[in-house]
Amino acid sequence: MARRGDRRRLAFLLGPATLFLGTCFIGPMAVMIAFSFLKPGLYGGVEWSFYHLNYGRILGWADSEWESFDPVYAAIFLRSVRIALTNVAILLVICYPAALWVSGLSARWRTLLVFLTTLPFFVSLVVRLFAWVLILRPSGFLNSSLIGLGLISEPFDIIFTETAVLIGMVYVMLPFMFLPVYASVEKLDRSLIEASSDLGGSPRQTFFRVTLPLTLPGIAAGAVLVFIPSLGNFIVPDILGGAKVMMIGNLIEQQFLSARNWPFGAALSVMIMVVMFVLILIYLRRIGRPEESA
Amino acid sequence: MKRSWSKQVLGVYGMLFLVFIYAPIIMIAVFSFNSNPINMMIWSGFTFDWYLTIFGYPTQLNEQTLYVESTDQLLKAVKNSLLVATSTTTISTVLGTMTALALYRYRFRAQRFYQGLLYMPMVMPDIILGIALLVFFVSVGMSLGRVSIIIGHSTFLISYVFVVVSARLAGLDDTLEQASADLGANEWVTFRRVTLPQILPGVIGGALLAFIISMDDLVITYFISGVDSTTLPVFIYGMLRRGVKPEINAIATIMLVLSFVIASLGLYFRRRH
Repeated sequence: MARRGDRRRLAFLLGPATLFLGTCFIGPMAVMIAFSFLKPGLYGGVEWSFYHLNYGRILGWADSEWESFDPVYAAIFLRSVRIALTNVAILLVICYPAALWVSGLSARWRTLLVFLTTLPFFVSLVVRLFAWVLILRPSGFLNSSLIGLGLISEPFDIIFTETAVLIGMVYVMLPFMFLPVYASVEKLDRSLIEASSDLGGSPRQTFFRVTLPLTLPGIAAGAVLVFIPSLGNFIVPDILGGAKVMMIGNLIEQQFLSARNWPFGAALSVMIMVVMFVLILIYLRRIGRPEESA
Repeated sequence: MKRSWSKQVLGVYGMLFLVFIYAPIIMIAVFSFNSNPINMMIWSGFTFDWYLTIFGYPTQLNEQTLYVESTDQLLKAVKNSLLVATSTTTISTVLGTMTALALYRYRFRAQRFYQGLLYMPMVMPDIILGIALLVFFVSVGMSLGRVSIIIGHSTFLISYVFVVVSARLAGLDDTLEQASADLGANEWVTFRRVTLPQILPGVIGGALLAFIISMDDLVITYFISGVDSTTLPVFIYGMLRRGVKPEINAIATIMLVLSFVIASLGLYFRRRH
C-alpha cells in the first residue's frame, strides 16, 4: 500500500465485487446459519427464538412435543456418506488407468483427449442424467438389448436402486476425478519409474512404492472434489433413485420445498458445509494449496 | 514384449473409457431421430418430427400420441435462460476481471481473504448455495424471478471468470505496461490498448465458461426461480419428473450441440497464446 493513487485504484477494482459478494454470498450464508438456530414455525416459516434441537434432530433426538427418538435422519446421512465414498472409490479405479493411458500418448493426443474428457462436463446435467434414464429404465436400452440378444426374458429392475444412483454419480462427476489425477500422473518423473525397475523392482512394487505415492496429491484432490458434491447431491438420486434412494440432498430439498421446515433444512445444510470445510482444511494442511493442482 | 502387451491392454481400456463417456450422449442424439412413438428405444425409422414438434409445428407423430408439451412454455424457458445467461455473463465477466486485476497488480493485507472468498462459491455444493440464496431472498422480502436468478448465478460465476482471467494474467509481460506508461499514456489508455488485448483471450474464455454454466445450471436455479421464470434446465427437469417423452431427446440434442460448440470455443480461446 505504497501510494495514495494505488489505494484508490484498488478500491475501484475491488469495491463492486466486495459489495456484491458481501451482500449476495456472505449475506445468504450468514442468514442460513442463523436460520439453523431458529425455531421452526407451526405452519412453515420461523419463529424468531433460539432453538438448538434442529441439530439434535439430525442425530435422532427430537423435541418431545413433536416426535419421539428416530434415527431415520442419521441413517440418511450415513447412506449419503456411503454413496459418496463408493463414488470416490469407483471413480478412482476408473480414472487412474485412464490417466496412465492418456499420459503415455504423444503431446497432441494428450491435449485432444483431455479436451474430449472434459467436453461432456459442459453438457447440461439434466441431459446427461436423462441419457441414463433411457438406458436403465425397464423398457430402456439396456433391457431392450439384453432381451433382444436373448440373454434375459424379463426386464430387470435397475433404475430406482442405489446401483443406478451410483452409475449416475460416477458418470456426472468423472471429470472432477480424471483431471486432478491426470495432472499428477502427467507430472510424474518417468526416470524414477525406470530407476525402480532398473534396481530390480517388479512392476507391482514400482507401482505401489513409486507411482502411487507420487501421484497421491492428485488422488486426494480428486477425492475431495468428488466427495463434496456427491454428498449433497439431490438431482441424481431424484432422477435415478426415485423415492427409494434418499440422500441428504433430497432431505434438504424436501425441508425447503414441501415439508416447510426451513430451520431443520438449514441445519442439514450447515452440517454439509462443516464436513466440506473440514475436508478442505485437511487437504490444504496435508497436501498443499489449491493453485498448484489447478 | 511384456511392456507392449500391457500398453495394448491400457489402450483397449482407454477406448472403453471414451465409449463410457460418449455412448450415452451419442445415444440421445441418434434416438432423437427415431420415429417410434411407443418405445423410443426400438428403432423404427428416421424422422425429424420430434424437432418439429418441440417448435410447435403439426406433425403426424404428435397427432397420434399424447406427448404434446406446450411449445409456448418451452420457448419462454429458452428466452428466460438466454436472458439470465447474458446478464449473468456480463456482470460476472466485468466483476471477475476487475477482481483478478486487483489481486494480480496490488499487494494488500486482505489478499488471502479475497482469494478464499473467491474460491469458496466454487467449492460450495450448489444445493447449499441455492437454499442459502432462497432463505436470503425470502428474508429480505425480494420476490423470486429472473432478477434473483441473475444475482444467484453471478455469486459463483464471478469466481469462475476470476480463475480463468487470473491464469491469463499470470503469464502477462508487465514490461509492456511500463513502456506504455513511460511513453506518456494514461492508465485508461494503457489498460485499453495494452493490458486488455493481452488478457482478452482469458476474458472471452471466462465469459463463455460463465455463459455455458449459467445456461446449464439446474440446482441453484431450481431453488430461486419463481413461478414464471423457469429456465430451460429446470423446464426439462420438470418434464423428466412427469415422465420420459421422445421430444426431450430432441431438446436434449439441441442443447448438446450448443454446449459442445460453446465449450469448444471457450477452450480454444483459453488455449490461444
